[in-house]
Amino acid sequence: MSPARRATIEFLLDNLVWLMLIVVLAVFSLTVPNYFQFGIFANIFEQSTFVGVMAIGLAIVIIAGNLDLSVESTAALSAMVTGMLFSSSGVGMGIAFEPAWLMPVVSLLIALAVGGIIGFINGFFVTRVGMSAFIVTLASFIWVRGLVVAISGGRSAQNLAPPIRIIGMEDILGVPLLAWISVGCFVIFAFVMAKTPFGRYITLVGGNQDATFRAGINSNRILWTSFVVAGVLAGLAGWLLAIRTSGATANLGVGMLFNAFAAVVIGGVSLKGGIGKLPGVYAGVLLLYSIHTAINLMGLPAHFTQMILGGLVLAAVLLDTFKLRLREKLL
Amino acid sequence: MTDDEPLLKLEGITKHFGAIEALRGVNMTVSRGEVVALLGDNGAGKSTLVKIIAGSYPPSSGRLIFEGRERHFASPKEAKASGIETVYQDLSLCTNADVVANFFMGREITKRYFGIPVLQEREMENIVAEAMRKAGTKIPSLRVNVENLSGGQRQAIELNRFVHWGGKLVVLDEPFAALGVEQTRRGLEMIRRVAAGGIGVIVITHIMEQAFQVADRLVVLRQGAVAGDLRHDETTPEKVIDLITGGTLSGAGTDGDGGNPDPAHQGEKIRL
Repeated sequence: MSPARRATIEFLLDNLVWLMLIVVLAVFSLTVPNYFQFGIFANIFEQSTFVGVMAIGLAIVIIAGNLDLSVESTAALSAMVTGMLFSSSGVGMGIAFEPAWLMPVVSLLIALAVGGIIGFINGFFVTRVGMSAFIVTLASFIWVRGLVVAISGGRSAQNLAPPIRIIGMEDILGVPLLAWISVGCFVIFAFVMAKTPFGRYITLVGGNQDATFRAGINSNRILWTSFVVAGVLAGLAGWLLAIRTSGATANLGVGMLFNAFAAVVIGGVSLKGGIGKLPGVYAGVLLLYSIHTAINLMGLPAHFTQMILGGLVLAAVLLDTFKLRLREKLL
Repeated sequence: MTDDEPLLKLEGITKHFGAIEALRGVNMTVSRGEVVALLGDNGAGKSTLVKIIAGSYPPSSGRLIFEGRERHFASPKEAKASGIETVYQDLSLCTNADVVANFFMGREITKRYFGIPVLQEREMENIVAEAMRKAGTKIPSLRVNVENLSGGQRQAIELNRFVHWGGKLVVLDEPFAALGVEQTRRGLEMIRRVAAGGIGVIVITHIMEQAFQVADRLVVLRQGAVAGDLRHDETTPEKVIDLITGGTLSGAGTDGDGGNPDPAHQGEKIRL
């Protein structure tokens, strides 16, 4: 096979999810009434924000060869902390200060710190104590959600301070600011993963941790950092959720973990570790919400969404196996 | 530090894993520019000794003296920083990454933009291409993932990596296990060339012929202790095999050694 043809096939295999996204969007645009309009696409963008930001962190942890089941609960905790501090109704304490522009900044930093602390704890148990990431983060998934219910007493916070909420209402070029934030996160972290030593080490550690250790890379610190990054991004997702819903409820974000996982797998990240790219994950998130939106527009009951998404995840894993075989055959 | 002082000196190195005694007091030395073949049967403790020298884990007791100073390596990073390079038997490559990423693993060339280190891929690729060309290793593309390369090509990457990065002491654990005849010959030449540059080399091998071809000295490990420490021109493969398998009592040990199997004295007695 000629190198050019091989390169083309490699390129297609690597970017299969983008191809799928284009095909799916084209098919829906042609078959689903009212699908093909700017507002719908902007809406898909915006809906993708929360799971998208969360999926970045999840993907990084998975590429490093681990797993983080706690991101959903972590996001909920960040959202609840933000809501409780800066909302004026419900369990909100209604903290407000001048200048107004400082409020989003301070609330964001608190939300990121909350996420970072959970990630730090996860990382500690995985890298220092040597426990399985599955168990550690499953435990966090449960206890962090418990903490959300405990601090809020199961009630909700409403009426987030307007200087913070404004972020959820602004548009740039007709696309909500929230969507731009997630696009920005993807751009930044795609760059970090592809072009910086940290990103390189994440991939290498996910491929062969022994080898990186022998090469003098502090592989445990890389892993630990990956958990902190996942926590911080979950914190950001929580902050964005609080803005979007103008507060927080005790069960905010339930089910997001599944969507984030689906997006990561559909996006071409292998659960074996070491394989996957963030742009693909973003395509996975967009694909997920394109389908969501189509189902909504067609007026199908919501539970069909779950069946279709489940099938999609299965298809993605099958595709992954198929790609591997094809590659072995062709290269 | 004087020139006649050995580069690496191990004194009474022991290693326990729970109740298992992997090493029971190993004494050996390696000088600058010297190639030492480390021989021994499976389970004799070769790999454990390599990992101790490489800093993967600390000895239970004993002293590791490198360049005249006692060292306590907490990690391979520290050993590497002191100038000890190790090539492992089970290859230390990340197969999910390309040749360049593996070659530079842990030593990437970066350039800072606004304080953020950015990988300089073009520069690294050129250096790898040059190193591969010098060693006569042919790899279809340096951007292909290592999982798509043959065992021989993978080993060549590891060997070229250590030749390129140099250091003061190189430890090679079964470096030719996956190589063909021609590649092995080239590899052996490479070892001599590296040693000629004043670098100490420890080669672990099962193959007697290779040991005699490349080594100045042969150290035989048996059951976690040194069973013999011989110059290559003062012994024969038959004697060495006897030492490896425990035939020392038949008098096939070193000349004048009397086949003393007591490891505690062996190292000193046969010091060159």
